[in-house]
Amino acid sequence: MLKKLSLAIFAAAFVVLTVPTTGAQSDLVMAPKFEVDPDFPKELPKHWVTGMSVGVAVDEQDHVWMVHRPPTISPNERGADQEPPTGECCMSAPPVMEFDQTGTLLRRWGGQVAGAPYEWPLSNHGLWIDKKGIVWIGANHNQDSHILKFTKDGKFLAQYGKAGAATNSNDPVNFGSPAKIMIDDTRNEAYIADGYRNKRVVVIDTETGARKRAWGAYGNVPDDASLGRYVPGEKPTQQFRGPVHCAMLSADDLVYVCDRQSNRVQVFTREGKFVSEMIIAPKTGGDGSIWDIAFSKDPAQKWMFIADGKNERVYIVDRKKMEMVSSFGDGGRQPGQWFGAHSIAIDSKGNLYTVETYEGRRLQKFVYKGEQMVPRWQGVPWPVKK
Amino acid sequence: MRFRLVLVLSSIAIAAAPLAARQAPKGAAPSQPAPAAAAVKPLAFAVDKLWPMPLPNHWVYGSITGLAIDSRDHVFVATRPGSVAAGNEAGLMSNPPTAEYCCLAAPPILEFDAAGKLVASWGEPSKDKAYDWPVSTGGIAVDDKGNIWITAAGVPEPAAAAAGATGVVPGAARAGGAAAPAAAAAGRGRGETVIPGAEGAPVAPAGRGNAGPPAPADAHILKFTRDGKFLMQIGKAGATGPRDSKTTLDKPADVFIDNAASELYVADGGANQRVVVFDATTGAFKRQWTGHGGEFQRISSITVSKDGLVYVGDRKGNRVQVFKKDGTFAKELEVAKGTTANGSVWDVGLSNDAKQSWLFVADGQNSTVRVFNRDTLAPAGTIGDGGRWPGRFYAVNNLAMDSKGNLFTGEGYEGKRVQKFVKK
Repeated sequence: MLKKLSLAIFAAAFVVLTVPTTGAQSDLVMAPKFEVDPDFPKELPKHWVTGMSVGVAVDEQDHVWMVHRPPTISPNERGADQEPPTGECCMSAPPVMEFDQTGTLLRRWGGQVAGAPYEWPLSNHGLWIDKKGIVWIGANHNQDSHILKFTKDGKFLAQYGKAGAATNSNDPVNFGSPAKIMIDDTRNEAYIADGYRNKRVVVIDTETGARKRAWGAYGNVPDDASLGRYVPGEKPTQQFRGPVHCAMLSADDLVYVCDRQSNRVQVFTREGKFVSEMIIAPKTGGDGSIWDIAFSKDPAQKWMFIADGKNERVYIVDRKKMEMVSSFGDGGRQPGQWFGAHSIAIDSKGNLYTVETYEGRRLQKFVYKGEQMVPRWQGVPWPVKK
Repeated sequence: MRFRLVLVLSSIAIAAAPLAARQAPKGAAPSQPAPAAAAVKPLAFAVDKLWPMPLPNHWVYGSITGLAIDSRDHVFVATRPGSVAAGNEAGLMSNPPTAEYCCLAAPPILEFDAAGKLVASWGEPSKDKAYDWPVSTGGIAVDDKGNIWITAAGVPEPAAAAAGATGVVPGAARAGGAAAPAAAAAGRGRGETVIPGAEGAPVAPAGRGNAGPPAPADAHILKFTRDGKFLMQIGKAGATGPRDSKTTLDKPADVFIDNAASELYVADGGANQRVVVFDATTGAFKRQWTGHGGEFQRISSITVSKDGLVYVGDRKGNRVQVFKKDGTFAKELEVAKGTTANGSVWDVGLSNDAKQSWLFVADGQNSTVRVFNRDTLAPAGTIGDGGRWPGRFYAVNNLAMDSKGNLFTGEGYEGKRVQKFVKK
C-alpha cells in the first residue's frame, strides 16, 4: 500500500507540474503585488515561542497585534516552563502581543488571572482593535460562548456572553465559539462571525453588548443542524456549514462572510439581506478555502484579500466583480510560505499581515509593492535577494 | 560525517546569542558558565533567511533527519515524507485530494546547490528488491567520491514522559481550524520519540513495501550514487542480532565516512547503542565499542576529527564522548546536564579550520546550537533560540558546514526546515 501511495503522490506531483500555475506571459494581469519581509517581526525575547496563531489586527497607529494559543505548544517545545523544567528552552509567549512597524514587541498580556472578573477563552480565536483602541477577542473552544473587551494595556473592560452557556444560533445573549469580531466604528456595531458552534452572523451594540440582529446563509434564520462534510459540486447549502470564520464590513456597507468549509464568501447588506456569493477552490475539502478577509486600503476597497489556510494561498479578488484575479504564497515553513494561513489584516499603507495556526505559528508581513502586471499565481513572494 | 573542511578559521566566538544572554528561566537546568574572556576573535553567524529557495511542485519538507555537504558545497538533506500530515498540510496527498493547490511531501533525499536551488530529489523503494528503502531515514553522509550514505533509523519510538503531547485543549478541535494536533509531534529524526500512532499515520510515501504486513524494522545502511543509484547495503531490514553482531545493525542513527582509511563509522541505535566501524569498501565489520562509564542512553550522532578523535553524541545522556579511532576513551563533554525529555545532544559537528578548533552540538531539546572549544571543551557560545521564525529552531537535529565555514541546520519535529547561517 505504501508503494501505491508513493506512486500516487508522485503522480499527483506530476499533475501539479503540468498545470500552468505560473501563467504564460500573455496571462499577466494587473493586480496588487506583495513581498514578504523576512525580518518582521524581530526576535521574541525570553525564549518565548508561540502556539497556533489565530488572530491578527492592525490598530490606528499601524501597530500589529496577534493572538495565539499557548496551550497548543507541546511540552517538548516549552521545556523551560514544565514542572519540573525539562530544559532551558522554551516558554510560551503571552497570548496577546503588539508589534510596532519595525517589528519590535511592545505590550503583551492575556490569559486567565486568578480572581479576574472575566473568563479567558479556553481556545483563543480572532482579534480586532477598534478606533477607540479597544481590543476585542473571540474564542473557539466549544465551551467558549463569549467575547472579551480589553484596553490595549490588557485592562478588562467587558465580557459579552458566558462561558459554557451557548445554546444555539438564535441565542440572544451567548455566542457559539465566536471566530472573529469586526467593529463598525461609525455605528458602534460589532459584527461577529459566530462561529464554530453557531452558524450565523450576529451584530451587537459595541457599548452594551445587546444583540441587534443575526442571520444565516442567504439571510435565512440560522439553523445549527450539521450539514455533514462538504462534497465538491454539491447544491449550495441554505445554511452556513461553518465555521463562520469572518464577517467583514466594507466601506460601501456590505458584509462579507467566510463560510470556511463550504469554500464560499457570502455577501450581505448590513441588515443581512443576501447580495451575492463567490466560491473559491471548490474542490477543497477538510478545512475549506475561505479563512479570512481583508480589504485593500484604497477608498473604494477595490481588492479583497482572502487567506486560505488549506491551500496555503492568499487570493486577490476584484471585489466589485467578485472575481479572483491573482494569488500568492505556497505551503512551507520559510518566509512567504504558510502552514495554516489563518488570519489576515492590512495596515494603512496596504501592507498585509498573516498569522498561521497549526504548525506555522508565525506572524508574517507582506510589503505592498503597488499594482503591477503579475501572473495569475505569483508564487512565494520573496524579495530580490541582496 | 558532514563536516567538509578546508577553510581556516583562526578563531571563533559566537555573536548570535552569547550564552550569558541566555537567561535561565525559573528553575531550569543551570546554564553553562559564560565563556572566559579569552582572546578569541568573535566569529558571527547570521541566518540567511532566504536560503534555500522555495521547493517546487508545492512540496513541503518532512522532519529533517540528516544533512551532508559534498565537495561542490551541495547540500544533501534527508527528510521524512511520512511525517507530513496529509490531513491538513498535504491535502494534495489525500485520496481524494482535499486541496486544490497545496501541498505534497517532498521526496526523502533532496540535493541543493550552494545557491539553495533544488537540483535533485530521489529516494523510493527498490523496484527489484535490491535494497530495503528505510521506513525512516536517519543520518546522511557523502564520501569523497560523491556517493551518499544513509542510515535507516526507524520510525521513532513511543513517547517518553512529557514528550510528544500536544497540549491541545480538549474540545477545541472542532472544524479543523481550532486545535487539530496536525500530527504535532510526528516526525522527528534520529530515534526521537513521538505520540504513538501519530507518526506518518495518514501516509508514508517513502515507506517500504506494499500492502500487507508492516515493513520490517530499519536495521541497515544504504549507499547510493548522488543521483540515487543503489550501490550497497550493510545490514538487513528486520534483521537485528546481538549487540556485538558483525553483520546486523539496529536503527542506526548516523554515519561518518573516514575517506583516508576507507572506514565507515556508525552510531548504531535501537538495542545496540554502540559505535561500529565497517570497511567502507567491502562493508566488512572491523571493530566496535559501547559507551564509556555507562551505556549510551541514546546514541544520536558521530563524527571523526582530522586528528583522529571520534566524537559520539549521546542524546539522552546529555554528553559527547570522545574516543580514539580504536575505541579507547579519551574524554567527555557534558552538555546542559539538567536536560531531561529528549536530551541535549542531537548532533555533533566540527568547524572546518585546519585545527577544527570548535565543536558544535545541536541541542534540539533546548532549541539552540552550542559551540565548544574542541581542545578544552569549554563552552564558547550558542547560536539561535526557540521559535518558528527564521534563525530560530524547533528541534534542531542536524548540523553541517560547507567549505566556506557556513553552518547549516536541519530541524526535526514540526521545525521541518533547513537553515543556513552565514559565517561573518
